[in-house]
Amino acid sequence: MILITNNPKFQSVPEPRCDMEYIAGSYRDVLILVRDRIHQGHKLLSHPLSGSVKPNETPYKSILISKKTGSLDVDSLQIIEDSISTCDKFMQNPINYGHNNQDALLADFSEVDYGLIVAAIASASR
Amino acid sequence: MKLELGNIFIHDIQFGDHSRVENGVIYINEEELRAHLLEDENIKSVSFDIAKPGESVRIMPVKDVIEPRVKAEGRGGIFPGVISKVDTVGSGRTNVLKGAAVVTTGTIVGFQEGIIDMSGPGADYTPFSKLYNLVVICEPVEGLKQHAHEKAVRFAGLKAATYLGRLAKDLEADEVESFETLSLIESFRQYPDLPRVAYVQMLQTQGLLHDTYVYGVDMKQSITTMLYPTETMDGAIISGNCVSACDKNTTYHHLNNPVVRDLYARHGKELNFVGMIITNENVYLADKERSSDWSAKLAEFLGVDGVIISQEGFGNPDTDLIMNCKKIEAKGIKTVIITDEYAGRDGASQSLADADISADAVVTGGNANMVVNLPPMEKVIGHVKLADTIAGGFDGSLQPDGSIVVELQAITGATNELGFNRLSAR
Repeated sequence: MILITNNPKFQSVPEPRCDMEYIAGSYRDVLILVRDRIHQGHKLLSHPLSGSVKPNETPYKSILISKKTGSLDVDSLQIIEDSISTCDKFMQNPINYGHNNQDALLADFSEVDYGLIVAAIASASR
Repeated sequence: MKLELGNIFIHDIQFGDHSRVENGVIYINEEELRAHLLEDENIKSVSFDIAKPGESVRIMPVKDVIEPRVKAEGRGGIFPGVISKVDTVGSGRTNVLKGAAVVTTGTIVGFQEGIIDMSGPGADYTPFSKLYNLVVICEPVEGLKQHAHEKAVRFAGLKAATYLGRLAKDLEADEVESFETLSLIESFRQYPDLPRVAYVQMLQTQGLLHDTYVYGVDMKQSITTMLYPTETMDGAIISGNCVSACDKNTTYHHLNNPVVRDLYARHGKELNFVGMIITNENVYLADKERSSDWSAKLAEFLGVDGVIISQEGFGNPDTDLIMNCKKIEAKGIKTVIITDEYAGRDGASQSLADADISADAVVTGGNANMVVNLPPMEKVIGHVKLADTIAGGFDGSLQPDGSIVVELQAITGATNELGFNRLSAR
C-alpha cells in the first residue's frame, strides 16, 4: 500500500505504517499523480473524493494505492477520471475564504483529510 | 414489531421556573438543563436560546437537529446504546414533542456546518424553520481536539433532547399514529399479491466528523445489516456528521425518515413494505465492494421486487450509491435511487461523480451549487463571521448589510437525500 498525499501533517506524524509519496502540489496534482500510477498498473484502494469537503474548499488530499502493479485496472481508472472531472467542475468556482482565520482553517482541513485516510488505512489493515 | 407514536403538538417554547409541558407549551428551567449538560468535563460553558417560526433569526453554524421523544410504554429507551441502555427499540408507545427540536451549534471546524433562517427566503429551504427550536450553544474546554469536540456537542444535543422528551412521558397525546412490520413470512401471507419493497438506507461513515452510529456502534465498522423501520423512530440511528449541511442526515431526519413514513403509508395498499437494510459509505474501496455485495445479498434474501436506495453526502458516496444500484438491479430487483446534485451554479454540469445505465429511476433533492441570497436577520444565534468559511460560502459571502450570498449547500437540510424537503419542481 502506498499513500499519495500533499497533506503536510503526514510529514510530522509517525503514522501511517505504509509507503508514502509526498508531493508539494495541489489537490488536483495529487489526483493526476494517482492517475499516472494507475496507468502504470497500480490499483486504487481508497476513494479519491473522500470526505464531504469539496475540492474547491480543501487544499489537501490523501489517496491510497496498491504497492503491487499489474495490468491496467479499468475500475480504478474510471473512478480517478470521474474524480478529476468532479474536481475540475468545482474549480470553476474556487472558494477563496474571506475569513481572516486562514491558518486555523488549513489546520482543520489537514486534520479532516488525515482523519479520513487513517480510517481507510485502519480498514485496509484489518 | 409495532410502534405507536403519540404526538403532542407544540406551539411554543419558553424559559420558566420548572421544566414541564403544558397546553402545548414547553417550559424549560435553564439552570437545571445547563447543570445537566455541564456534567461533561469537555464542555466549558453552555448557553441557550429559543428560535420560533417566522422570527427574524438566523442560527449558524448548526451541527445537529434532534426531536425530543420519550419511551412511554414498552422495551428500551430513546437513543439506545448511547443515552439509554442497549435494548431493542421500535415497539410499544413513544411520545413525541411534535413541532419542537433541539438545535446544537458550535464551531467544531472552521468550515462546513449549516444555516437555519427562521424567516425569509432561506426559511423555505430548510424544514427546521417551521419548528420551535431550543438552540444549545456549547463552548468546549481549551485545546479540545475536533473529534472530542464533535462528540461532546453530539452528546449535549442528545441529552438536551432526552431531557425535554422525558417531560412528555405521562402526557396524553393529541394524535396517535401506528406502524407495524410483521415477520417476512407473515407479511407475505398477509399481502400475497402486492409487490414487496425494501428500503436501503446508506449512512455516512467516512470517518472524522463524517460518522453515523447505530445502537451506539460506529457504522463504518459494521457490515450491511437490517432494522425494523420502527427502530429508527426510537433513535436507533444518530448523526455524528458535521460536514455537508445541505445533504447530511441530522438525527431529526433519522427519527422522521420520510422514506420510511411514505412506505408505511402505502403498506398494504400499493405495496408490502417488508423492512429496511442499512449500509455504510466507507472511504476504503474494498469496504464499498463488501457493503454493496451485502446490500444486494440481503435484498435478494428478502425476496423483494423493488428497493428504494437513499444516499447521504457528496462525492465518494456516489460510488457506493451506484454500486448498490447496479448490484441490486443485477439480482433482478428494481431500484429507485434518491440523491442530490452538484451540477454547477448554472445547473449545466454532470450531477454525480459516478453513473451507470441501471440507475434509470432517480429522485433528486436539488442542486446544492445553486446560489441564494439570504437577507440580513435582526438576530443571529451562533457565529455570523463564519459565513465566509462555511461550505458554499465564498470570499465576501457576508455582505456589509448582514446579508449572505451562499450556495444552497450551506443551508441545513436544503437538498436532503431522504427527500425531507418542502420545495419541489414540476
